[in-house]
Amino acid sequence: MTRRISKFKRFVMMNPIIQFFKFIYLSIKVLVIVAGGHGGTRNA
Amino acid sequence: MTKIVVLGAGIAGHVAASHLRRKLSREHEVVVVSPNGNYQWIPSNIWVGIGRMKPRDILFPLAPLYAKKHIDFKQAKAVSFHPEGDSQEIKPYILAEYVAGNENGTQEKVTYDYLINATGPKLNFEATEGLSPGKNKAHSVCTYTHAQEAWIALEGLIKQMKEGKKTRILIGTGHAKSTCQGAAFEYILNVEQELRRHKVRDMAEITWISNEYHLGDFGMDGMLLSYGSDIMKSKEMVEMIFEDRGIRWILGAGVHKVEDGVAHYETLDGEYKQESYDFAMLIPSFSGHGFKAYDKNGGDITDKLFKGFMIVDADYSPKPYEEWTVQDWPETYQNPSYANIFAPGIAFAPPHGISKPRKSKNGTDITPAPPRTGMPSGITAKLVADNIIGMIKNPNHDLHHKGSMGNMGAACIASAGFGMTKGSGISITTYPIVPDFKKYPDTHGRKLGKTFGTIGLAGHWLKLALHHAFLYKAKMKPFWWLIPE
Ligand SMILES: Cc1cc2nc3c(=O)[nH]c(=O)nc-3n(C[C@H](O)[C@H](O)[C@H](O)COP(=O)(O)OP(=O)(O)OC[C@H]3O[C@@H](n4cnc5c(N)ncnc54)[C@H](O)[C@@H]3O)c2cc1C
Repeated sequence: MTRRISKFKRFVMMNPIIQFFKFIYLSIKVLVIVAGGHGGTRNA
Repeated sequence: MTKIVVLGAGIAGHVAASHLRRKLSREHEVVVVSPNGNYQWIPSNIWVGIGRMKPRDILFPLAPLYAKKHIDFKQAKAVSFHPEGDSQEIKPYILAEYVAGNENGTQEKVTYDYLINATGPKLNFEATEGLSPGKNKAHSVCTYTHAQEAWIALEGLIKQMKEGKKTRILIGTGHAKSTCQGAAFEYILNVEQELRRHKVRDMAEITWISNEYHLGDFGMDGMLLSYGSDIMKSKEMVEMIFEDRGIRWILGAGVHKVEDGVAHYETLDGEYKQESYDFAMLIPSFSGHGFKAYDKNGGDITDKLFKGFMIVDADYSPKPYEEWTVQDWPETYQNPSYANIFAPGIAFAPPHGISKPRKSKNGTDITPAPPRTGMPSGITAKLVADNIIGMIKNPNHDLHHKGSMGNMGAACIASAGFGMTKGSGISITTYPIVPDFKKYPDTHGRKLGKTFGTIGLAGHWLKLALHHAFLYKAKMKPFWWLIPE
Protein backbone atom coordinates (compact mmCIF):
# COMPACT_ATOMS: atom_id res chain seq x y z
CA MET A 1 0.00 0.00 0.00
CA THR A 2 1.48 3.31 -1.10
CA ARG A 3 1.96 5.97 1.55
CA ARG A 4 -0.12 9.10 1.20
CA ILE A 5 0.61 12.69 2.13
CA SER A 6 -1.78 13.57 4.95
CA LYS A 7 -3.58 16.91 5.21
CA PHE A 8 -1.41 17.84 8.16
CA LYS A 9 1.81 16.94 6.34
CA ARG A 10 0.69 19.02 3.36
CA PHE A 11 0.01 21.95 5.67
CA VAL A 12 3.53 21.66 7.11
CA MET A 13 5.04 21.32 3.60
CA MET A 14 3.39 24.49 2.32
CA ASN A 15 3.24 26.74 5.40
CA PRO A 16 5.62 29.63 4.69
CA ILE A 17 6.54 30.23 8.35
CA ILE A 18 7.37 26.61 9.10
CA GLN A 19 9.10 26.35 5.74
CA PHE A 20 11.19 29.46 6.43
CA PHE A 21 12.79 27.66 9.39
CA LYS A 22 13.05 24.52 7.28
CA PHE A 23 14.86 26.55 4.63
CA ILE A 24 17.47 27.68 7.15
CA TYR A 25 17.81 24.15 8.53
CA LEU A 26 18.12 22.67 5.02
CA SER A 27 20.69 25.24 3.88
CA ILE A 28 22.86 24.43 6.89
CA LYS A 29 22.38 20.68 6.50
CA VAL A 30 23.34 20.81 2.80
CA LEU A 31 26.35 23.00 3.59
CA VAL A 32 27.50 20.57 6.28
CA ILE A 33 27.30 17.67 3.82
CA VAL A 34 29.23 19.63 1.19
CA ALA A 35 31.76 20.93 3.69
CA GLY A 36 31.93 17.42 5.17
CA GLY A 37 34.60 16.90 2.56
CA HIS A 38 35.54 14.09 0.27
CA GLY A 39 38.50 11.88 -0.26
CA GLY A 40 39.81 8.66 -1.69
CA THR A 41 38.63 5.17 -0.82
CA ARG A 42 41.66 3.05 -1.62
CA ASN A 43 43.91 3.86 1.32
CA ALA A 44 41.10 4.64 3.73
CA MET B 1 55.39 29.21 -17.72
CA THR B 2 52.75 26.48 -17.91
CA LYS B 3 49.83 26.27 -20.29
CA ILE B 4 46.68 24.54 -19.10
CA VAL B 5 43.98 23.86 -21.65
CA VAL B 6 40.44 23.18 -20.45
CA LEU B 7 38.04 21.58 -22.92
CA GLY B 8 34.44 22.53 -22.17
CA ALA B 9 32.93 25.39 -20.21
CA GLY B 10 30.13 23.57 -18.45
CA ILE B 11 30.02 23.10 -14.70
CA ALA B 12 33.29 21.10 -14.55
CA GLY B 13 35.29 23.06 -17.15
CA HIS B 14 34.28 26.46 -15.83
CA VAL B 15 34.96 25.51 -12.20
CA ALA B 16 38.41 24.19 -13.16
CA ALA B 17 39.31 27.24 -15.26
CA SER B 18 38.12 29.74 -12.67
CA HIS B 19 40.00 28.08 -9.80
CA LEU B 20 43.16 27.71 -11.89
CA ARG B 21 43.02 31.37 -12.83
CA ARG B 22 42.44 32.50 -9.26
CA LYS B 23 45.23 30.41 -7.80
CA LEU B 24 47.90 30.65 -10.50
CA SER B 25 49.94 33.75 -11.26
CA ARG B 26 49.51 35.35 -14.68
CA GLU B 27 52.76 33.89 -16.02
CA HIS B 28 50.75 30.68 -16.40
CA GLU B 29 48.26 30.47 -19.22
CA VAL B 30 44.70 29.15 -18.80
CA VAL B 31 42.92 28.45 -22.08
CA VAL B 32 39.30 27.34 -22.41
CA VAL B 33 38.14 25.68 -25.64
CA SER B 34 34.37 25.28 -25.85
CA PRO B 35 31.88 25.44 -28.73
CA ASN B 36 29.11 27.20 -26.81
CA GLY B 37 29.78 30.92 -26.30
CA ASN B 38 27.50 30.92 -23.25
CA TYR B 39 27.73 29.46 -19.79
CA GLN B 40 24.42 27.85 -18.87
CA TRP B 41 23.17 26.81 -15.45
CA ILE B 42 21.67 23.55 -16.70
CA PRO B 43 19.59 22.66 -13.60
CA SER B 44 17.33 25.67 -14.26
CA ASN B 45 16.48 24.40 -17.75
CA ILE B 46 13.56 22.71 -16.03
CA TRP B 47 12.03 26.13 -15.39
CA VAL B 48 12.72 27.24 -18.96
CA GLY B 49 10.83 24.12 -20.08
CA ILE B 50 7.70 25.27 -18.20
CA GLY B 51 7.98 28.89 -19.27
CA ARG B 52 8.77 30.23 -15.79
CA MET B 53 12.27 31.35 -16.79
CA LYS B 54 13.71 32.56 -20.08
CA PRO B 55 17.01 31.23 -21.46
CA ARG B 56 18.55 34.64 -20.72
CA ASP B 57 17.85 34.08 -17.00
CA ILE B 58 20.07 31.01 -16.89
CA LEU B 59 23.00 31.93 -19.14
CA PHE B 60 25.65 34.57 -19.72
CA PRO B 61 28.28 35.04 -22.44
CA LEU B 62 31.70 33.68 -21.57
CA ALA B 63 33.96 35.81 -23.79
CA PRO B 64 33.66 39.11 -21.83
CA LEU B 65 34.13 37.36 -18.47
CA TYR B 66 37.15 35.39 -19.66
CA ALA B 67 38.68 38.51 -21.25
CA LYS B 68 38.32 40.35 -17.94
CA LYS B 69 39.75 37.46 -15.93
CA HIS B 70 42.68 36.78 -18.30
CA ILE B 71 41.45 33.39 -19.39
CA ASP B 72 42.03 32.80 -23.09
CA PHE B 73 38.77 31.63 -24.73
CA LYS B 74 38.50 29.82 -28.03
CA GLN B 75 34.96 29.21 -29.23
CA ALA B 76 35.86 25.94 -30.83
CA LYS B 77 35.29 22.23 -30.46
CA ALA B 78 37.99 19.67 -29.80
CA VAL B 79 38.25 17.31 -32.74
CA SER B 80 41.16 14.99 -31.93
CA PHE B 81 43.75 14.40 -29.21
CA HIS B 82 47.51 14.27 -29.84
CA PRO B 83 49.08 13.68 -26.42
CA GLU B 84 52.59 13.17 -27.88
CA GLY B 85 52.45 15.92 -30.51
CA ASP B 86 53.30 14.89 -34.07
CA SER B 87 56.14 15.03 -36.59
CA GLN B 88 55.91 18.85 -36.77
CA GLU B 89 54.75 19.73 -33.26
CA ILE B 90 56.79 18.43 -30.35
CA LYS B 91 54.33 19.54 -27.67
CA PRO B 92 51.13 17.62 -26.96
CA TYR B 93 48.10 19.27 -28.49
CA ILE B 94 44.44 18.97 -29.26
CA LEU B 95 43.12 19.77 -32.69
CA ALA B 96 40.31 22.29 -32.32
CA GLU B 97 37.90 23.62 -34.91
CA TYR B 98 36.43 27.09 -34.48
CA VAL B 99 32.63 27.23 -34.60
CA ALA B 100 32.06 30.99 -34.59
CA GLY B 101 33.57 34.32 -35.58
CA ASN B 102 35.99 35.07 -38.41
CA GLU B 103 37.86 31.83 -37.84
CA ASN B 104 34.69 29.68 -38.15
CA GLY B 105 35.60 26.33 -39.70
CA THR B 106 39.37 26.75 -39.36
CA GLN B 107 41.38 24.27 -37.33
CA GLU B 108 44.14 25.00 -34.83
CA LYS B 109 46.60 22.86 -32.93
CA VAL B 110 46.15 24.00 -29.34
CA THR B 111 49.26 22.89 -27.45
CA TYR B 112 49.26 22.29 -23.70
CA ASP B 113 51.30 21.25 -20.71
CA TYR B 114 48.20 20.03 -18.88
CA LEU B 115 44.85 19.14 -20.40
CA ILE B 116 41.51 19.01 -18.61
CA ASN B 117 38.87 17.24 -20.65
CA ALA B 118 35.55 18.52 -19.27
CA THR B 119 33.48 17.99 -22.39
CA GLY B 120 30.61 16.33 -20.51
CA PRO B 121 28.30 14.03 -22.44
CA LYS B 122 27.23 13.88 -26.05
CA LEU B 123 23.42 13.92 -26.02
CA ASN B 124 23.05 10.74 -28.01
CA PHE B 125 19.59 11.18 -29.54
CA GLU B 126 20.60 9.02 -32.54
CA ALA B 127 20.73 5.95 -30.30
CA THR B 128 16.90 5.96 -30.24
CA GLU B 129 15.25 5.82 -33.64
CA GLY B 130 13.12 8.89 -34.26
CA LEU B 131 14.18 10.70 -31.07
CA SER B 132 15.30 14.22 -31.86
CA PRO B 133 14.39 17.33 -29.88
CA GLY B 134 11.23 18.88 -31.27
CA LYS B 135 10.46 16.01 -33.67
CA ASN B 136 7.60 13.51 -33.33
CA LYS B 137 6.14 15.66 -30.51
CA ALA B 138 9.05 14.54 -28.30
CA HIS B 139 11.21 17.13 -26.61
CA SER B 140 14.27 17.50 -24.39
CA VAL B 141 15.27 19.92 -21.61
CA CYS B 142 18.97 19.08 -21.75
CA THR B 143 19.96 22.48 -23.18
CA TYR B 144 18.27 25.87 -22.90
CA THR B 145 17.35 25.78 -26.60
CA HIS B 146 15.70 22.38 -26.21
CA ALA B 147 13.93 23.55 -23.06
CA GLN B 148 12.62 26.67 -24.79
CA GLU B 149 11.27 24.56 -27.66
CA ALA B 150 9.67 22.18 -25.14
CA TRP B 151 7.88 25.10 -23.51
CA ILE B 152 6.56 26.43 -26.83
CA ALA B 153 5.07 22.99 -27.55
CA LEU B 154 3.68 22.60 -24.04
CA GLU B 155 2.17 26.08 -24.12
CA GLY B 156 0.40 25.17 -27.35
CA LEU B 157 -0.94 22.02 -25.76
CA ILE B 158 -2.18 23.94 -22.70
CA LYS B 159 -4.14 26.19 -25.08
CA GLN B 160 -5.72 23.12 -26.69
CA MET B 161 -6.59 21.74 -23.26
CA LYS B 162 -8.27 25.02 -22.39
CA GLU B 163 -10.35 24.54 -25.54
CA GLY B 164 -11.40 21.13 -24.25
CA LYS B 165 -8.90 18.68 -25.72
CA LYS B 166 -8.00 15.68 -23.57
CA THR B 167 -4.28 14.98 -23.79
CA ARG B 168 -1.59 12.49 -22.86
CA ILE B 169 1.80 13.58 -21.58
CA LEU B 170 4.76 11.22 -21.37
CA ILE B 171 7.94 12.12 -19.51
CA GLY B 172 11.00 10.07 -18.61
CA THR B 173 13.89 8.31 -20.29
CA GLY B 174 14.20 7.87 -24.04
CA HIS B 175 16.64 4.97 -24.09
CA ALA B 176 17.21 1.70 -22.24
CA LYS B 177 20.48 3.06 -20.82
CA SER B 178 19.62 6.72 -20.23
CA THR B 179 20.76 8.47 -17.09
CA CYS B 180 19.61 11.80 -15.59
CA GLN B 181 16.27 10.43 -14.32
CA GLY B 182 16.43 13.23 -11.74
CA ALA B 183 15.98 15.90 -14.41
CA ALA B 184 13.00 14.08 -15.94
CA PHE B 185 11.54 13.61 -12.45
CA GLU B 186 11.77 17.36 -11.82
CA TYR B 187 10.24 18.12 -15.17
CA ILE B 188 7.23 15.83 -14.75
CA LEU B 189 6.39 17.39 -11.37
CA ASN B 190 6.82 20.92 -12.72
CA VAL B 191 4.63 20.17 -15.74
CA GLU B 192 1.98 18.67 -13.45
CA GLN B 193 2.01 21.78 -11.26
CA GLU B 194 1.83 24.12 -14.27
CA LEU B 195 -1.23 22.26 -15.58
CA ARG B 196 -2.88 22.82 -12.22
CA ARG B 197 -1.92 26.50 -12.32
CA HIS B 198 -3.52 26.77 -15.74
CA LYS B 199 -6.55 24.87 -14.40
CA VAL B 200 -6.28 22.12 -17.03
CA ARG B 201 -4.89 19.32 -14.87
CA ASP B 202 -8.02 17.22 -15.40
CA MET B 203 -7.51 17.40 -19.16
CA ALA B 204 -4.21 15.49 -19.13
CA GLU B 205 -3.11 11.99 -18.29
CA ILE B 206 0.50 12.23 -17.17
CA THR B 207 2.76 9.17 -17.37
CA TRP B 208 6.30 8.53 -16.18
CA ILE B 209 8.28 6.12 -18.35
CA SER B 210 11.68 4.99 -17.17
CA ASN B 211 14.41 2.41 -17.50
CA GLU B 212 14.55 2.21 -13.69
CA TYR B 213 13.50 -1.07 -12.07
CA HIS B 214 12.03 0.77 -9.09
CA LEU B 215 10.76 4.30 -8.81
CA GLY B 216 13.37 6.48 -7.12
CA ASP B 217 16.31 4.44 -8.42
CA PHE B 218 17.75 7.56 -10.12
CA GLY B 219 20.62 5.49 -11.52
CA MET B 220 21.94 5.26 -7.96
CA ASP B 221 20.38 1.93 -7.02
CA GLY B 222 17.80 3.79 -4.96
CA MET B 223 18.41 4.97 -1.45
CA LEU B 224 17.29 4.27 2.05
CA LEU B 225 16.73 7.67 3.54
CA SER B 226 15.75 9.41 6.71
CA TYR B 227 12.43 11.14 6.11
CA GLY B 228 11.43 13.15 9.16
CA SER B 229 11.29 10.63 11.99
CA ASP B 230 10.78 7.79 9.49
CA ILE B 231 13.19 5.71 7.46
CA MET B 232 11.97 5.25 3.93
CA LYS B 233 13.15 3.89 0.61
CA SER B 234 13.42 6.43 -2.20
CA LYS B 235 11.01 4.11 -4.05
CA GLU B 236 8.35 4.70 -1.40
CA MET B 237 8.97 8.42 -1.40
CA VAL B 238 8.61 8.81 -5.17
CA GLU B 239 5.60 6.46 -5.21
CA MET B 240 3.98 8.65 -2.56
CA ILE B 241 4.64 11.78 -4.62
CA PHE B 242 3.37 10.28 -7.88
CA GLU B 243 0.22 8.98 -6.15
CA ASP B 244 -0.32 12.42 -4.66
CA ARG B 245 0.05 14.11 -8.06
CA GLY B 246 -1.99 11.52 -9.97
CA ILE B 247 0.93 10.44 -12.15
CA ARG B 248 0.96 6.86 -13.49
CA TRP B 249 4.23 5.08 -14.15
CA ILE B 250 5.85 2.52 -16.46
CA LEU B 251 9.10 1.01 -15.22
CA GLY B 252 11.83 -1.19 -16.70
CA ALA B 253 11.10 0.34 -20.09
CA GLY B 254 13.77 0.57 -22.77
CA VAL B 255 12.43 3.10 -25.28
CA HIS B 256 13.95 2.18 -28.67
CA LYS B 257 11.84 4.02 -31.23
CA VAL B 258 9.79 7.18 -31.35
CA GLU B 259 7.21 7.92 -34.03
CA ASP B 260 4.83 10.87 -34.28
CA GLY B 261 3.15 10.74 -30.87
CA VAL B 262 4.13 7.13 -30.11
CA ALA B 263 6.98 5.77 -28.00
CA HIS B 264 7.91 2.13 -28.59
CA TYR B 265 9.58 0.32 -25.71
CA GLU B 266 10.75 -3.08 -24.60
CA THR B 267 10.02 -4.32 -21.09
CA LEU B 268 12.18 -6.46 -18.85
CA ASP B 269 9.73 -9.30 -19.57
CA GLY B 270 10.81 -9.07 -23.19
CA GLU B 271 7.50 -7.65 -24.41
CA TYR B 272 7.35 -4.89 -27.00
CA LYS B 273 4.80 -2.21 -26.15
CA GLN B 274 3.91 1.31 -27.12
CA GLU B 275 2.61 4.41 -25.42
CA SER B 276 0.91 7.26 -27.26
CA TYR B 277 1.23 10.90 -26.29
CA ASP B 278 0.52 14.46 -27.36
CA PHE B 279 3.66 15.82 -25.70
CA ALA B 280 6.72 13.94 -24.51
CA MET B 281 9.99 14.87 -22.86
CA LEU B 282 12.42 11.99 -23.09
CA ILE B 283 16.02 12.16 -21.87
CA PRO B 284 18.35 10.62 -24.46
CA SER B 285 21.23 8.34 -23.61
CA PHE B 286 24.54 10.07 -22.92
CA SER B 287 27.71 8.94 -24.65
CA GLY B 288 31.27 10.05 -25.18
CA HIS B 289 31.90 12.45 -28.06
CA GLY B 290 33.65 9.85 -30.23
CA PHE B 291 37.01 11.65 -30.09
CA LYS B 292 40.01 10.03 -31.74
CA ALA B 293 43.55 10.10 -30.33
CA TYR B 294 46.86 9.70 -32.18
CA ASP B 295 50.47 9.15 -31.14
CA LYS B 296 53.37 11.15 -32.52
CA ASN B 297 53.60 8.96 -35.61
CA GLY B 298 49.90 9.33 -36.36
CA GLY B 299 49.06 5.84 -35.00
CA ASP B 300 45.57 5.46 -33.55
CA ILE B 301 45.76 5.35 -29.71
CA THR B 302 42.10 6.12 -29.03
CA ASP B 303 41.80 3.11 -26.71
CA LYS B 304 44.53 4.54 -24.44
CA LEU B 305 42.41 7.60 -23.83
CA PHE B 306 38.82 6.60 -24.34
CA LYS B 307 36.38 3.93 -23.42
CA GLY B 308 33.43 5.88 -24.74
CA PHE B 309 34.20 8.58 -22.16
CA MET B 310 37.79 9.30 -21.05
CA ILE B 311 39.77 6.63 -19.23
CA VAL B 312 40.91 7.71 -15.76
CA ASP B 313 42.20 6.05 -12.58
CA ALA B 314 39.20 3.71 -12.22
CA ASP B 315 39.24 -0.07 -12.11
CA TYR B 316 37.65 -1.03 -15.42
CA SER B 317 38.03 -4.79 -15.10
CA PRO B 318 34.63 -6.34 -15.82
CA LYS B 319 32.99 -7.87 -12.77
CA PRO B 320 29.50 -8.84 -11.62
CA TYR B 321 27.34 -6.46 -9.59
CA GLU B 322 28.00 -8.42 -6.38
CA GLU B 323 31.74 -7.67 -6.70
CA TRP B 324 31.47 -3.95 -7.40
CA THR B 325 33.17 -1.85 -4.74
CA VAL B 326 33.70 1.84 -4.11
CA GLN B 327 37.40 1.26 -4.73
CA ASP B 328 36.58 0.77 -8.43
CA TRP B 329 35.69 4.46 -8.68
CA PRO B 330 38.35 7.03 -9.62
CA GLU B 331 39.96 9.34 -7.09
CA THR B 332 42.07 11.78 -9.11
CA TYR B 333 40.55 11.60 -12.63
CA GLN B 334 44.03 11.32 -14.15
CA ASN B 335 44.51 9.33 -17.35
CA PRO B 336 46.80 6.36 -16.56
CA SER B 337 48.70 6.64 -19.88
CA TYR B 338 49.28 10.40 -19.91
CA ALA B 339 49.83 11.94 -16.48
CA ASN B 340 49.08 15.46 -17.74
CA ILE B 341 45.53 14.64 -18.87
CA PHE B 342 42.52 14.69 -16.53
CA ALA B 343 38.77 14.24 -16.98
CA PRO B 344 36.42 15.56 -14.25
CA GLY B 345 32.62 15.85 -14.38
CA ILE B 346 30.69 13.68 -16.80
CA ALA B 347 33.66 13.37 -19.18
CA PHE B 348 35.28 10.43 -17.32
CA ALA B 349 34.38 6.83 -18.08
CA PRO B 350 32.73 5.27 -15.02
CA PRO B 351 34.01 1.79 -14.09
CA HIS B 352 30.45 0.41 -14.21
CA GLY B 353 26.95 1.38 -13.23
CA ILE B 354 25.64 2.03 -9.74
CA SER B 355 22.18 0.51 -10.20
CA LYS B 356 21.92 -3.25 -10.37
CA PRO B 357 22.19 -4.17 -14.06
CA ARG B 358 19.17 -5.87 -15.59
CA LYS B 359 18.57 -7.44 -18.98
CA SER B 360 15.27 -8.07 -20.72
CA LYS B 361 14.34 -11.61 -21.71
CA ASN B 362 15.61 -10.70 -25.18
CA GLY B 363 19.02 -9.79 -23.76
CA THR B 364 18.63 -5.98 -23.97
CA ASP B 365 20.31 -4.08 -21.14
CA ILE B 366 17.63 -1.99 -19.49
CA THR B 367 19.49 -0.22 -16.69
CA PRO B 368 20.07 3.42 -15.84
CA ALA B 369 23.64 4.60 -16.46
CA PRO B 370 25.33 6.19 -13.43
CA PRO B 371 24.56 9.89 -13.03
CA ARG B 372 27.23 12.48 -12.34
CA THR B 373 25.36 15.50 -11.10
CA GLY B 374 26.47 19.10 -10.74
CA MET B 375 27.98 18.84 -7.30
CA PRO B 376 30.40 15.96 -8.00
CA SER B 377 31.19 17.58 -11.36
CA GLY B 378 32.25 20.76 -9.58
CA ILE B 379 34.10 18.97 -6.78
CA THR B 380 36.06 16.72 -9.15
CA ALA B 381 36.94 19.72 -11.36
CA LYS B 382 38.25 21.69 -8.38
CA LEU B 383 40.38 18.82 -7.11
CA VAL B 384 41.82 18.30 -10.60
CA ALA B 385 42.71 22.02 -10.71
CA ASP B 386 44.32 21.75 -7.26
CA ASN B 387 46.37 18.71 -8.27
CA ILE B 388 47.57 20.44 -11.44
CA ILE B 389 48.61 23.47 -9.39
CA GLY B 390 50.45 21.08 -7.07
CA MET B 391 52.21 19.46 -10.04
CA ILE B 392 53.22 22.85 -11.45
CA LYS B 393 54.66 23.95 -8.13
CA ASN B 394 56.29 20.63 -7.33
CA PRO B 395 56.90 18.06 -10.10
CA ASN B 396 57.00 15.29 -7.43
CA HIS B 397 53.51 16.20 -6.23
CA ASP B 398 51.61 13.06 -5.27
CA LEU B 399 48.11 14.13 -6.35
CA HIS B 400 46.90 14.24 -2.77
CA HIS B 401 43.63 15.95 -3.65
CA LYS B 402 41.25 13.04 -3.99
CA GLY B 403 37.54 12.74 -4.37
CA SER B 404 35.96 9.40 -5.09
CA MET B 405 32.20 9.33 -5.59
CA GLY B 406 32.39 6.51 -3.03
CA ASN B 407 33.59 9.03 -0.44
CA MET B 408 31.64 12.13 -1.36
CA GLY B 409 28.17 13.37 -0.55
CA ALA B 410 25.79 15.01 -2.97
CA ALA B 411 22.83 17.25 -2.47
CA CYS B 412 20.09 17.09 -5.04
CA ILE B 413 17.33 19.61 -4.72
CA ALA B 414 14.70 18.48 -7.17
CA SER B 415 12.19 21.10 -8.14
CA ALA B 416 8.63 19.86 -7.82
CA GLY B 417 6.92 23.06 -8.89
CA PHE B 418 7.72 26.74 -9.34
CA GLY B 419 6.35 29.61 -7.22
CA MET B 420 7.30 31.61 -4.13
CA THR B 421 4.21 30.44 -2.22
CA LYS B 422 2.95 27.49 -4.29
CA GLY B 423 6.31 26.01 -5.26
CA SER B 424 7.79 22.83 -3.91
CA GLY B 425 11.07 20.99 -3.89
CA ILE B 426 12.23 17.54 -2.95
CA SER B 427 15.53 17.88 -1.19
CA ILE B 428 17.60 14.72 -1.13
CA THR B 429 21.14 14.35 0.10
CA THR B 430 23.10 11.16 -0.37
CA TYR B 431 26.29 10.02 1.30
CA PRO B 432 28.18 8.47 -0.32
CA ILE B 433 27.01 8.86 -3.91
CA VAL B 434 28.26 5.37 -4.80
CA PRO B 435 26.98 3.04 -2.08
CA ASP B 436 29.65 1.54 0.16
CA PHE B 437 28.15 -1.79 1.17
CA LYS B 438 31.12 -2.70 3.37
CA LYS B 439 30.96 0.47 5.46
CA TYR B 440 27.17 0.69 5.61
CA PRO B 441 25.96 -2.90 5.15
CA ASP B 442 22.60 -2.45 6.87
CA THR B 443 21.49 0.76 5.22
CA HIS B 444 21.94 -0.10 1.54
CA GLY B 445 25.48 1.28 1.41
CA ARG B 446 24.68 4.77 2.64
CA LYS B 447 24.87 6.65 5.90
CA LEU B 448 21.43 7.44 7.27
CA GLY B 449 21.02 11.01 8.43
CA LYS B 450 23.48 12.17 5.79
CA THR B 451 21.16 10.45 3.33
CA PHE B 452 17.83 12.11 3.84
CA GLY B 453 14.84 13.43 1.97
CA THR B 454 12.25 16.08 2.64
CA ILE B 455 9.47 17.70 0.62
CA GLY B 456 8.09 21.22 0.74
CA LEU B 457 8.14 24.87 -0.16
CA ALA B 458 11.57 25.34 1.43
CA GLY B 459 12.99 23.03 -1.24
CA HIS B 460 11.82 25.40 -3.94
CA TRP B 461 13.35 28.40 -2.18
CA LEU B 462 16.59 26.49 -1.77
CA LYS B 463 16.67 25.52 -5.44
CA LEU B 464 16.05 29.14 -6.41
CA ALA B 465 18.72 30.36 -3.97
CA LEU B 466 21.17 27.86 -5.50
CA HIS B 467 20.29 29.09 -9.00
CA HIS B 468 21.27 32.65 -8.02
CA ALA B 469 24.28 31.60 -5.93
CA PHE B 470 25.79 29.40 -8.64
CA LEU B 471 25.28 31.99 -11.36
CA TYR B 472 26.92 34.57 -9.07
CA LYS B 473 29.81 32.17 -8.54
CA ALA B 474 30.09 31.34 -12.24
CA LYS B 475 30.22 35.04 -13.07
CA MET B 476 33.23 35.21 -10.72
CA LYS B 477 31.78 38.13 -8.79
CA PRO B 478 33.49 39.26 -5.54
CA PHE B 479 34.30 36.36 -3.18
CA TRP B 480 32.77 33.85 -5.58
CA TRP B 481 35.19 31.18 -4.38
CA LEU B 482 33.59 31.19 -0.91
CA ILE B 483 30.54 29.46 -2.41
CA PRO B 484 31.28 25.75 -2.31
CA GLU B 485 30.94 23.51 -5.37
C1 LIG C 1 17.87 19.19 -17.45
C2 LIG C 1 18.95 18.88 -16.47
C3 LIG C 1 18.77 19.21 -15.13
C4 LIG C 1 19.77 18.94 -14.22
N1 LIG C 1 19.57 19.28 -12.92
C5 LIG C 1 20.53 19.06 -12.02
C6 LIG C 1 20.36 19.44 -10.66
O1 LIG C 1 19.31 19.94 -10.27
N2 LIG C 1 21.38 19.24 -9.81
C7 LIG C 1 22.56 18.70 -10.22
O2 LIG C 1 23.44 18.55 -9.40
N3 LIG C 1 22.76 18.31 -11.49
C8 LIG C 1 21.77 18.49 -12.40
N4 LIG C 1 21.96 18.10 -13.69
C9 LIG C 1 23.24 17.50 -14.06
C10 LIG C 1 24.30 18.56 -14.33
O3 LIG C 1 23.81 19.50 -15.26
C11 LIG C 1 25.55 17.89 -14.85
O4 LIG C 1 26.03 17.07 -13.83
C12 LIG C 1 26.65 18.86 -15.20
O5 LIG C 1 26.21 19.77 -16.16
C13 LIG C 1 27.88 18.13 -15.69
O6 LIG C 1 28.90 19.04 -15.91
P1 LIG C 1 30.03 18.83 -17.01
O7 LIG C 1 30.82 20.07 -16.99
O8 LIG C 1 30.70 17.53 -16.79
O9 LIG C 1 29.25 18.70 -18.39
P2 LIG C 1 28.43 19.85 -19.16
O10 LIG C 1 27.80 20.78 -18.19
O11 LIG C 1 27.56 19.13 -20.12
O12 LIG C 1 29.55 20.66 -19.96
C14 LIG C 1 30.22 20.14 -21.06
C15 LIG C 1 30.90 21.28 -21.78
O13 LIG C 1 31.71 20.74 -22.82
C16 LIG C 1 31.49 21.48 -24.00
N5 LIG C 1 31.82 20.61 -25.14
C17 LIG C 1 31.06 19.69 -25.75
N6 LIG C 1 31.74 19.15 -26.79
C18 LIG C 1 32.95 19.74 -26.82
C19 LIG C 1 34.10 19.60 -27.67
N7 LIG C 1 34.13 18.76 -28.70
N8 LIG C 1 35.18 20.38 -27.40
C20 LIG C 1 35.18 21.25 -26.36
N9 LIG C 1 34.13 21.42 -25.55
C21 LIG C 1 33.02 20.67 -25.77
C22 LIG C 1 30.01 21.87 -23.91
O14 LIG C 1 29.72 22.96 -24.77
C23 LIG C 1 29.93 22.25 -22.44
O15 LIG C 1 30.39 23.57 -22.25
C24 LIG C 1 20.97 18.32 -14.64
C25 LIG C 1 21.14 17.97 -15.98
C26 LIG C 1 20.14 18.23 -16.89
C27 LIG C 1 20.33 17.84 -18.33
